[in-house]
Amino acid sequence: MDARLRRVNKEIADCKSDKSSRVTIDLVDDNPFHLIGAFDGPEDTPYEGGRFQVDIVIPDNYPFQPVKMKFITKVYHPNISSASGAICLDILKDAWSPVLTLKSTLISLQSLLCSPEPRDPQDAEVAKHYMTSKSSFEKTARYWTMIYAGGPGEDGAGRPGKDAAKDEIAMAGLDRAHVAQFEALGFDRSKVIDVLRRMNYRGANVANINDDRVVEELLK
Amino acid sequence: MSQSFPGDALDDTPSRPLIAPLAPMLTLREEYVNGSQGFVKQIDYLISEGWIGVRRTRGDGDCFYRSLAFAYIENILNASDTMLAATGALSVLEASQPQLEQVGFQRLVFEDFYDCLAGLINQVISPGPDGQVLNINTLLEAFNNPEVSNSIVVYLRLLTSAEIKTNPEIAAFLIHPETGEQMDPESFCNNFVEAVGKEADHVQMNALATALKVNVNVAYLDGHDPQGKVSFVPFQNAPFTFLEPVNLLYRPGHYDILDRRDADPIPPLLVQ
Repeated sequence: MDARLRRVNKEIADCKSDKSSRVTIDLVDDNPFHLIGAFDGPEDTPYEGGRFQVDIVIPDNYPFQPVKMKFITKVYHPNISSASGAICLDILKDAWSPVLTLKSTLISLQSLLCSPEPRDPQDAEVAKHYMTSKSSFEKTARYWTMIYAGGPGEDGAGRPGKDAAKDEIAMAGLDRAHVAQFEALGFDRSKVIDVLRRMNYRGANVANINDDRVVEELLK
Repeated sequence: MSQSFPGDALDDTPSRPLIAPLAPMLTLREEYVNGSQGFVKQIDYLISEGWIGVRRTRGDGDCFYRSLAFAYIENILNASDTMLAATGALSVLEASQPQLEQVGFQRLVFEDFYDCLAGLINQVISPGPDGQVLNINTLLEAFNNPEVSNSIVVYLRLLTSAEIKTNPEIAAFLIHPETGEQMDPESFCNNFVEAVGKEADHVQMNALATALKVNVNVAYLDGHDPQGKVSFVPFQNAPFTFLEPVNLLYRPGHYDILDRRDADPIPPLLVQ
């Protein structure tokens, strides 16, 4: 048997036999080189209570080349692209070692959720949010966890129902009063949300942004 | 050789084999004739000291480990008592497996690499799957097969890591190569030993020589010696070995193998 397949099979079997980590690896279309991994959001973080899925592609030269991973579940985190799920983590790049396994790499992603590195961001807007106001960032991350990963949300009640609309202001991590302020000038709500999010109109940073500049952006 | 590996891009000649046949030292000299005369002088010094051959390796960050592995197995192959040399090496390797587990490596991640290395050494004394014992040609072939070659490199990296993690005397020398800060063994090994393509420095070389129980001499070519001499740094960590020391040639950022012959021997015809 091909060495890569032998190794992947061993890793999948090892993961199945370990129930304590709650890390799972499943095949996509019976292809052992395209997998879906999943793990629980770590306790005492905004991701707690969520279940996160990761797309896994095993490259031809595995385990000598790093496994390719990206989040399928949308995550609000400075080192994970909120749009594509791309991950910024050294072991997936130049710090990869053939001693790392699918399971240990997924556990590293779980640890990444515990310890964001905003100075080496994958998602610059999210990183700015994190550095401007950690409490506001955590609130938003918790909301995303509820909407996309089945987390309990702020009040612990979980998502109000599958059909309930997402609250776009909470998704963007903005203050309701700020959005209302510019909506009152006659701008479309989604436009206001988009502009305020991009300008990082949050926390102490609000004082640094002139209202005229916001309006200027809104008029573009 | 169509596969690419991390670190390939660092090489200015990506078509260079992972390990090349032995070539005369004069071929290396030619590369410097129109360049640094300091290097030319030092190469002439090596030749005058009897080091007339060089075995080049690909400059992919694994060159120290790959050079050492190749020279180590070739020394077993060339030992006066191959049975003694091979069984000695195999017993060192056999004993390394529990040590790897002790420092936290899962057997499933290293057993294939181990089998690759031990299998090749075993083939020095007993015929392999192809019904033949190892000779210099099949050894070169094995080391130019990326899967075999890289498996062996990784196993040596793990041996190095396990030695660093278990040998308290090494701890003081674990310095971040860029920042100069002291590092703990775990993060030093994660970043500068176990990761693919990370070059070895003195700490790693010393640890690996100790773990493999092999003596290593490194000739440092830097082009700066006013007399054109070359200093050899010995890593003598194996007082009771059956094996000849491994001799390596260092040029800034790269390791090749040094030899007193200038071409590979033609393997004896095999009995049908």
